[in-house]
Amino acid sequence: MTHLAASQRLSAYLDGELGTAERRAVETHLRTCPVCRRDLAELEQVKTLLGALPEVEPPAGLFADIRRELERPTPVLGPLGGWLRGAFRRPAVVAAAALLAVLLIALPLAKGRIDRLQAANVGADVYVREHALLSATDPFADRAYLGLLIGDANVALVGQRRAPEDGR
Amino acid sequence: MRRLAGWVAGALLLFAAQPGAAGLRTGAPTRPLPEPAAILRTLLRAPALIDYEGTKVISTVRGRTAETVTMLEAYKRLGKLRLEFLSPESVSGRLVVDDGASSWQYEPSMHLVVRGPSFVSGVGRPERAEEIVRGYGVRILGREEVIGRDTVVVSLAAGRSGSHRRLWVDEATGVPLRTEERDTRGEIVFVSYFSRISYSLNLPPALFQFRQPAGARVVAFHLTGDPVATPSELLGLARSPVAVPALLLGRYRFHDGRIAQHGAFSAAVATYSDGISVLTVFQTPSSRMAFPEVGAPIAFGPGSARLLDLGYFRVVLWQRGGMNFAVLGNVPRTILLQAADELNAARPR
Repeated sequence: MTHLAASQRLSAYLDGELGTAERRAVETHLRTCPVCRRDLAELEQVKTLLGALPEVEPPAGLFADIRRELERPTPVLGPLGGWLRGAFRRPAVVAAAALLAVLLIALPLAKGRIDRLQAANVGADVYVREHALLSATDPFADRAYLGLLIGDANVALVGQRRAPEDGR
Repeated sequence: MRRLAGWVAGALLLFAAQPGAAGLRTGAPTRPLPEPAAILRTLLRAPALIDYEGTKVISTVRGRTAETVTMLEAYKRLGKLRLEFLSPESVSGRLVVDDGASSWQYEPSMHLVVRGPSFVSGVGRPERAEEIVRGYGVRILGREEVIGRDTVVVSLAAGRSGSHRRLWVDEATGVPLRTEERDTRGEIVFVSYFSRISYSLNLPPALFQFRQPAGARVVAFHLTGDPVATPSELLGLARSPVAVPALLLGRYRFHDGRIAQHGAFSAAVATYSDGISVLTVFQTPSSRMAFPEVGAPIAFGPGSARLLDLGYFRVVLWQRGGMNFAVLGNVPRTILLQAADELNAARPR
């Protein structure tokens, strides 16, 4: 397996979504590729961090404190230095800033994973709908059945799936 | 499972016993059967000449499930269609109106209107008859009466698959009154037939204009992306390396391509046509789309592969080289798997 192919599968490997052959191929590649091992470790770290994050409410006076510190004149260090000095005097501000930094890194990664699952969830319905629309050029296509398939896919794409009845 | 399979077989036998399925008359002595190209010309001319309104019954096997759907179907030249679904309960009340440019679907259970592109072709192209006779195995099986009308039974075989459609074509109007799809074993997997039809009604145009129910929610789903006409243009649009051969299975030529999008879903789409049927190929990097767990697992290639059988359409999905592939077509599974093999052998660029 090439480096590119292996690197594209690391997320799926971590999530246990690969088949046996692909998983073995990725593991073989990992044994010889330090870059992929590092990427995998980072992905694992992010996943661990996301799982361990507590739900933290900011302190009630946090934003008032920040605003007051920002408004206080600090001629020697300038506004940013003053804010930093003020912030580091308050552990809650440091904790909130650290949490914000982690979220800024983790959220795009989490969003990527959610998008990946959502794409899979709607994928088959998009396939069927678009193919049915493109099949209008087939002179033998049954218009009524195309209408049924497109209609079912439309319903699925707005979040409801029609279960075909078995007619018994 | 055995019980279900027995029921499915029984149901299809029952459909086979409907008017139009049995007792082919191999030509009355006084009236010779038409040549394949002649009856195909009549069929291909019909969308530009004939209005009709009737009750249609569709029965299909979707994987392990058989389903029968009944609807009122009305067609008006050129390319206007109205479908009112009667049964089963899960589709009862659904209305689809297509005016030849756009389509509307009303879903009463959700009080929802879905607007999209037209899926009806109203263009009559009788000149394609010769092309179809050359590209397909076309045979005239005989003449038969269906709901009181004389039909010619036409058999169409795609390639060397052994699978084929049968059409009972109304000899006077060219409208198929009955359609059957069979699998490679000759088993019927799809039947569509009119139980009643009326012609030349000069149907009112208002029947094909959609009136939005008050308070209904409206969503619009369109085909996304501007189409491109060549594989190289599609390669230029795709953000990841994709395999886009100019020809599949020696007869399906690249027709057009697009980047399809729906929310988080995005795929490079290539459409192939042999002049009649269509194969559509979707490619998405695995990093942007998990593998869709639909249909049933099948043995194909080293990674995951699945088959989604809708009776009329089949979908083969598989993974290779960090990409998710899907190929769809109204062709047998064996042909889709051959196309998948060719795509696997094609070099992504």
